[in-house]
Amino acid sequence: MIELMDLAYVRLGASDLEDAQNFATRSLGLQVSEQASKSLYLRSDDRAHTLCYFEGNSQDQTVAFEVADESKLQAAGSTLDALGHAVHAGTAAECALRKIKAFIGFKDPTGNQIELVVRPERSGKRYFATRDAGITGFSHVGLFTTNPVRDELFWTQVCNARVSDRIGDIALMRVNAIHHTVALAPGGGPGVHHINHQVESNDDVLRSYYHLSGQRVPIVFGPGRHPTSGARFLYFQGPDGMVFEYSVGVDEIDDEETHRPRQFGFEPSSLCMWGATAKRTR
Amino acid sequence: MTGKNTAGSFPQGPLVAVCYVRLAMQEPLPAATFATDVLGLQPVPNKQALLFRSDDRYHTLSLVPATATSSIGIEVLDEAALDHLEEALRKDGFSARQASQDECRQRFVRSALIAEDASGNEIDLVLRPAQSGRRYFPSRDAGITGLQGVGLRSSRLKDDQRFWTSILGAQISDWAGDISYLRIDHKHHRIALYPSDQPGILYVSYGVESFDAIMQSHYFVQERQIKTVHGPGREPASGQIFLRFEGPEGTIFSYTHGLSDLEPGHRPRQFSAQASSLCEWGSECQGIPELQLAGG
Repeated sequence: MIELMDLAYVRLGASDLEDAQNFATRSLGLQVSEQASKSLYLRSDDRAHTLCYFEGNSQDQTVAFEVADESKLQAAGSTLDALGHAVHAGTAAECALRKIKAFIGFKDPTGNQIELVVRPERSGKRYFATRDAGITGFSHVGLFTTNPVRDELFWTQVCNARVSDRIGDIALMRVNAIHHTVALAPGGGPGVHHINHQVESNDDVLRSYYHLSGQRVPIVFGPGRHPTSGARFLYFQGPDGMVFEYSVGVDEIDDEETHRPRQFGFEPSSLCMWGATAKRTR
Repeated sequence: MTGKNTAGSFPQGPLVAVCYVRLAMQEPLPAATFATDVLGLQPVPNKQALLFRSDDRYHTLSLVPATATSSIGIEVLDEAALDHLEEALRKDGFSARQASQDECRQRFVRSALIAEDASGNEIDLVLRPAQSGRRYFPSRDAGITGLQGVGLRSSRLKDDQRFWTSILGAQISDWAGDISYLRIDHKHHRIALYPSDQPGILYVSYGVESFDAIMQSHYFVQERQIKTVHGPGREPASGQIFLRFEGPEGTIFSYTHGLSDLEPGHRPRQFSAQASSLCEWGSECQGIPELQLAGG
């Protein structure tokens, strides 16, 4: 069993790094932690970075999870190897680019690029946002899946994810107490469906709704409230079509032993209990 | 608003509560459909009048023909207080007359003094407004907890402030530009005066039980192509989350949640004449000059 502890970062190829920086700072409101010639590191909490844009193909998207230590990392590599996943062991240079001690890369059954990392860097300085969006940290990702049932088995049988709730066949899965860290979304191929940052309050969700609307950032879903996690949310679109989410009030599953996933119907009210409808799906 | 009728520990003036709104309509019947189908109020079975409940009271909204005058009803503490108000209003040159028995029956009160503020808004100062024995059962699940207050247009702001404060005993909680929030109980405000070139009821406000209820109604009215004039938003002075939308014949209704209690020793604050003083989230009012403060 591969023991995922938390998300670490997302790496996104950017067709225009300047665009990405503009959006990340003026709209999303993250802090630039490091600007290299061909990449941009962004912070959202006390970690050294949680999002990295690099000059490249915007389809090149990777999600990284932290594992406990190098022995767990090696065990994970063997498990994946035995299951026939091609496993790439990170080189020293690659590790330096990711600000981590060691990592392996592989693809989930849909083909999503996943990295398992050891000792991602924290920053000594506190997080200081570029705009007052109220961000408290990078919290979860949505991953496209070409086969929700198969991929749920991968995340829950090969990895340690647990299903918190399902909407139709779509599993919302946790790796710690937070309601979900990985949400699957049906799609035609691999890729990141959305990137979530938590904000402080309901007020922040609505303030950003008006702020981003004023900047003509496309709002793709919300403001709304998920009946599954209880979170109030806003989804909006950044460069290269990537969707970002702010949310607040995600439930914690505190009865790990006894929690049973609830089944929600595959219908709009399962995604928003206020009545918002998603503007577009990719 | 509960069925209780306690004065509470807050320093009590002669005014107890906003207890009803009478809206004069050219076409009361479509307005009645709006009251139940959109607002979600409970119709009161009554052959003579179009009455609606929003809480434990017998009625809080009455739709009257255009030949009548719109007014708001405010419950007064007792008969002595009402007598005193009548004398004070007359002495200061405000119009005030005893309601006839018929007028009291139409208002479901024991007695009433029909007064006018300086702008010409009709204010009913009433005793013993009727409660209902049956609990409130709404027409739709809007989460309404009760009539929360009203916004009034004021064309003579200074004199209207005097009418409400020096004579009727309300107190100013805060100003946003020249908009004046008036309190009569422990809540931030029950009445707000909006500078205007004419008198009239600017909006009628119903409290709802949650932030969810506000947002659900936001999408509910949007789906029905009802124009939202302001919000969803949050009023910095009172802390309340609001949604204001158009009703029939130019009326505006609000749902609000989270109206703050006033701290003891509160002194009125002056908020700047900017849109952000009416909504801290950044919503801006569309089309209603009274709800637009100069500047951005």
